[in-house]
Amino acid sequence: MAETTVAQEVTRRTILAAAIAGGAGLAGVAVAATPEADADAVKEARRMTGKVVTLSPRLHLLMPSHFPNGYIVPFTLRIDSKMTDTDHVRQVQVLAPRNPINPVATFYFVPGRSEPVVSTRIRLAEQQDVLAIAEMNDGALLMARTFVEVETNGCK
Amino acid sequence: MATPTPRVQVPRSATRGEVIEIKTLIEHPMETGLRLDSNGEVIPRKIINEFICRYNGEVVFRTDLHEAVAANPFISFSLRVTTSGRLDFIWNEDFGAVYALNHTLLVD
Repeated sequence: MAETTVAQEVTRRTILAAAIAGGAGLAGVAVAATPEADADAVKEARRMTGKVVTLSPRLHLLMPSHFPNGYIVPFTLRIDSKMTDTDHVRQVQVLAPRNPINPVATFYFVPGRSEPVVSTRIRLAEQQDVLAIAEMNDGALLMARTFVEVETNGCK
Repeated sequence: MATPTPRVQVPRSATRGEVIEIKTLIEHPMETGLRLDSNGEVIPRKIINEFICRYNGEVVFRTDLHEAVAANPFISFSLRVTTSGRLDFIWNEDFGAVYALNHTLLVD
């Protein structure tokens, strides 16, 4: 029992360290962007939010492409924005289309104060495209998707 | 349930205009409302549903959390600092409980 606890702790720390170390080791970006999957992601976003979104390279959604534990999947999001009064990110909504409850979190940023970079850990029920939708100050809705496979259902 | 314990990691001091990274964590089960107990009854939802960071009173970062945020929610974010002052960290739980921490930041 004690050994199990130690093993989990080590895993968690390792994951955290990996997440903090930045994007390099997180392979989400390496997944080939197929036009079909992109179109599906846009459709899913429409279904869940009722809004039309555009995939954008300004959003960087960094997650492992494969992760054993669906309960604590590392998540890092970075958006290219100067965060000035005239050009900034207002908020980012994170969605998991194949979770029993789709919304994951919404992050709100303040121009001149916050940098649009955030990390957390999320639960995923099964393999899916995780979606991040950023609302910019001009109302534009920019989206990124990252396909993540998990071995255990993190929503049970 | 053990009392949720919040923790933050903030640099003690910073230079004016610097962007600092703030790491936060609260020990909390984030009960989703999807699980059943041993009698087959639904365990009611009880999660931290909001996290707020204030800098000298001004809200500078905020997050809505839903069921899919992992237990013991960890959030790290960045903040551009300009003056010395007080950082407040606030976690709001379902049914109104509030957990909070504050930190004094020195900016040269």
